[in-house]
Amino acid sequence: MDLSSAPAGRGISLNWLLGGWLGLLALLVALPVHSPAASERQLQAAPTDAKPNFILPSLDGPSYDLRQQAGRVVLVHFFATWCEPCRDELASLSSLAGMPGIDPPLILAINVAEVPGRVRRFLEGAAVDFPVLLDSDRAATRAWGVYALPTTFVLDRSLAPRLMVEGDLDWTKEDVIAALRRVAELASP
Amino acid sequence: MSMNRRQVLKAGGALAAATALPDMASAQATFAPAPGAWRNFQTVTRLEIAKHVGQVQAWIPLPAFSAEDWFKPAGSTWTTNATTAEIKRDAKYNAEMLHVVWGADEKAPVVEVTSKFATRDRAVDLSKPGNVAALSAADHKLYTSATELIPVDGIVKETSDKITAGATSDLDKARRIYEWVVDNTFRNAKTRGCGVGDVAAMLKSGNLNGKCADLNALYVGLARAAGIPARDVYGLRVAPSKFGYKSLGAGSEVVTKAQHCRAEVYLSGFGWVPVDPADVRKVVLEEPPANLALDDAKVVAARKALFGAWEMNWLAYNVAHDIALPGAKGPKVEFLMYPQSETAAERLDCLDPDNFKYVITAREATA
Repeated sequence: MDLSSAPAGRGISLNWLLGGWLGLLALLVALPVHSPAASERQLQAAPTDAKPNFILPSLDGPSYDLRQQAGRVVLVHFFATWCEPCRDELASLSSLAGMPGIDPPLILAINVAEVPGRVRRFLEGAAVDFPVLLDSDRAATRAWGVYALPTTFVLDRSLAPRLMVEGDLDWTKEDVIAALRRVAELASP
Repeated sequence: MSMNRRQVLKAGGALAAATALPDMASAQATFAPAPGAWRNFQTVTRLEIAKHVGQVQAWIPLPAFSAEDWFKPAGSTWTTNATTAEIKRDAKYNAEMLHVVWGADEKAPVVEVTSKFATRDRAVDLSKPGNVAALSAADHKLYTSATELIPVDGIVKETSDKITAGATSDLDKARRIYEWVVDNTFRNAKTRGCGVGDVAAMLKSGNLNGKCADLNALYVGLARAAGIPARDVYGLRVAPSKFGYKSLGAGSEVVTKAQHCRAEVYLSGFGWVPVDPADVRKVVLEEPPANLALDDAKVVAARKALFGAWEMNWLAYNVAHDIALPGAKGPKVEFLMYPQSETAAERLDCLDPDNFKYVITAREATA
């Protein structure tokens, strides 16, 4: 990977790479990104800086406090209805939730600054069975340094960001499942 | 903000080629707005809320922007079954709106707003500066400052610095930014409404597509980052283009979806200068037969004119960003170009034709 040409926030921390076998994991999953298709895109090592907590309302249910989700792998997925690949990726995330051989991660899909009615229409018939949260003022999106949609972070059980991907990903691929499984084995709070 | 990465900065060769073309092609297409006779228009905005529970509010932008030499608002009147209807202005930009509130017992909330204004084409002679008064210190600060979606530091500043490197005047910088936006962006027909205008996201993702609220906000951000006052002007197309550009005019009296924002840049000695790189990209994409090349005569003529001139078949609502709608529970709106509404439960989708109906018609007054 040509780190010198990587956009801000997407490079791999040297300290992190030196941090043990997780660094090896990063090398295994991190590949250059040149507008690949979802099936070709790969998870990358996430920047090691801690992400701030968020408490966001869900579309038609309770609010979610990220801190209270510790103990399981969490996927924090930022999307918008105008984002062309986002619909397909939500379907892929739904499929992930039902994949055999993996303890299903908690998926928190965060819509970026759109009105609830628009999000509801977008999700009609989408069979999304995970929480959809509303970041109506972009505060969480900005705090997490998200500037491209979709963007997804994989948090370990202690809610430390481990992997991320900018752009849509096929979450049912074997290598992605394997990477999620390794994150699940990493740490317990 | 999708992942179609594009090279953000293109070499100066394309710029040089583009700027060399206009004179060669102008004989084949004409787009040359210039101040002439004033034209009087009337718009009618009718808004209905189909479904609601509890109190309902609406905010309808009014064409109250005023510019002595090209836009004169002539007031708004309305009829409604609302409990209250008042003209409100935001404190920062003086954007004007009609704020309407219906009680929970109103089964069929409706309001109809009639606005009148006069306008004429505008063009600034950029060949020599005049004796235009300098911008006030307060306005200079306002129009060089960041907004929620238009930062003027970081990647916006870095990009602006690259574009304007070596430029010797603000006019030169403003023109280079204009040419850069035309060369490096494209209009995306799939963008909902007029886009969002998240300039940092556009530059960081490298995805420089969108519509007018995206592309002209990018111009404004890059100019502000260069220290040059600039602003988006949010409005609505109200008549066909008299230059025969189908893509740059209203196709009928129904202009419900004809919202369009433009940009202005303040240049010492010239005052506010109209620009509209987004409309150049609109001509490229939509002008029949569509998907025109940058060296097509129609594109070249529009590109030449739209740095310094606007055809005023369009009304100006306001230049406001990040507006807190008075009495609203929902978040600020990035800009106020569409009617907005909110029930007791939530903000409605201003682009949802089923639950939040509005129709805008425009008509030119005959003498």
